[in-house]
Amino acid sequence: MKKIDLKKLKDLDVKKLARDFVYGKPHGERRLGELYEDKTGLYKHREWRGVKDTMYYFNNIWLYNYVMMVGDIMKFGGPVLFAKGLWRYRWLGQTYLPVLHWFDRGLEGLRGEALRASAWHYRAMVCVTINQFMNMFKADGNLRNGEHNDAWHHSIYHKETVWGGVFYPWADKYTHIPMEMIPYFVTCHVNNHTVLNYIDAVQSIGLPGDPCPMCQAEAGLFVLDDMPDCAPFMVTSNEACDGSVASTAVQDWFMDIPLFAMPQPMQFDDPLVQEHCANEIRELWRFIEEQTGAPFNWDLLKEYLEKQNELQRFEWEKWDVAANTDYYPINGVAQALYRIYQSQYGEHYIWHDTDKRVRKIMEKCVEQRINSFPLTRHRVIAWSCAPLYYSNWCTWAYNCWGLNTIINMDSLMFDMTIRTDDLDETVMDMARYHEWAPMRRMAVGGMHHIFELWENMEKFHCDMVMMYDQLQCKGMQGVVGLFEDEFRARNIHAIWMPHALPDKRTVSRAEIRRIINDYMTTVMQEEPLDPSLLDFDDSESW
Amino acid sequence: MKFFKILWKVLLIGAAVYAALFAVFYFDLDGKLLFRKVEPWLVKHYDKMERRDPLSVGYNIEKK
Repeated sequence: MKKIDLKKLKDLDVKKLARDFVYGKPHGERRLGELYEDKTGLYKHREWRGVKDTMYYFNNIWLYNYVMMVGDIMKFGGPVLFAKGLWRYRWLGQTYLPVLHWFDRGLEGLRGEALRASAWHYRAMVCVTINQFMNMFKADGNLRNGEHNDAWHHSIYHKETVWGGVFYPWADKYTHIPMEMIPYFVTCHVNNHTVLNYIDAVQSIGLPGDPCPMCQAEAGLFVLDDMPDCAPFMVTSNEACDGSVASTAVQDWFMDIPLFAMPQPMQFDDPLVQEHCANEIRELWRFIEEQTGAPFNWDLLKEYLEKQNELQRFEWEKWDVAANTDYYPINGVAQALYRIYQSQYGEHYIWHDTDKRVRKIMEKCVEQRINSFPLTRHRVIAWSCAPLYYSNWCTWAYNCWGLNTIINMDSLMFDMTIRTDDLDETVMDMARYHEWAPMRRMAVGGMHHIFELWENMEKFHCDMVMMYDQLQCKGMQGVVGLFEDEFRARNIHAIWMPHALPDKRTVSRAEIRRIINDYMTTVMQEEPLDPSLLDFDDSESW
Repeated sequence: MKFFKILWKVLLIGAAVYAALFAVFYFDLDGKLLFRKVEPWLVKHYDKMERRDPLSVGYNIEKK
């Protein structure tokens, strides 16, 4: 048994201990890196954030979300259906059970209003995710020995890169299901082990390793027969690029159901192209009418678009606070994931509930001048497509270096409301919205748009760029040199962050941290706020 | 009197459950269980599942 060192005991600063217990340690003393177990990233113990914030995390985030997850499962289809899906699909069982760890990683180090506002964003994403996979299982023929029920006949399958808004005219009778959003996209953020199975599966049938790993994984889901059979037809798109066209060929092969391809123009500034794109949407609507026998409902489209416009207007308010004050209470990862999820999936009641709660918190922060990120050294804008397996890098970067990610490119994509006074105008706006999809508008959508970085840097008062470098995106690889020239010419501090979207094996999270550490020490000549976070091994972690 | 005794017992049990849950939360026992036991067990199950071989389906590009 260890002897108690009386001298050390005498030297203890009891007042400080009590203060740390009640209020939590100040930022520079937290040593968050010492909380992790080696390799797994599990916590020896979760962070003590002071009495108030620890109890908030325990009651209002950890317990609340476990209870609400059970509630969502009951509400959207019941535990039996959930258990069947869990047993059948790897992406569900392997990914979504440890979802609270996803909260932990994204919310590390947060206190007060930022902890509350960011956690509400996560709660909304969990709710929509459960709603989506339960919708899949309700309609899934695989769970019913190939039988197709009423729900199957009332579902519309579409690629995740097709904006959910184009299906609003049938929202009262038909459920739109983005094929890969839950089995692929969200899984990478929550548990990055799962997606590797799908990437390996598609390579095992002969695909070379260098195409976009997103499309590889999407196709791999079908190769491993891990996709629900939940709709009589599907809608595909070339968003974000021709990689999606290639994965569509595999999906068409393995699904073997009627398919409508809705290509969107890459270079979308031309007004003639705009007309063409609007016609594609009208064609799609005719296809859905043919397949379902249900007529297009203009009133429903208007109603849903107006609801979606409400979300956009609040998003603009958020951007305004983020850009012009120090009182924005949402951290980089919550901002990025919530926004891309909401704007791509489309209308859902939980977005409105969440926005109401977040509005209250944000208004409180502005009124009372609460700075949730007081140790911000640099206001960062993140540009291009982020590493899905390390979307919480910005939480780490703030805790370790005071790099506060104010905004990111994906958040800024769908920067518009849609007119609802006239169908022709509405369709034109919908075409524009669709063209402004993630990885399209400011990635492969043309030089002018990718260089919108400069005006957004100014608008959001950022002094540093985190430049994502998706190593397997041929479109973005083509402009690396141009960006380097511009960064030099404009004297902008930019850190290139290489990654392979969902695949952590190409550039590990530790490597990403090392690159940022090197830049911060050698170029910026700064000292870390929390040195324990500089180097740790989380290679096996979720 | 009996009512208060029952109430007291319910409160005690409630407090014990709450404290146990806090211990699970604080020491990340949920994460450890899921990482070390549940995920490997489920992965084993998924690895040995019989699956349809989609490659055995012909691809008919002429279909409408």
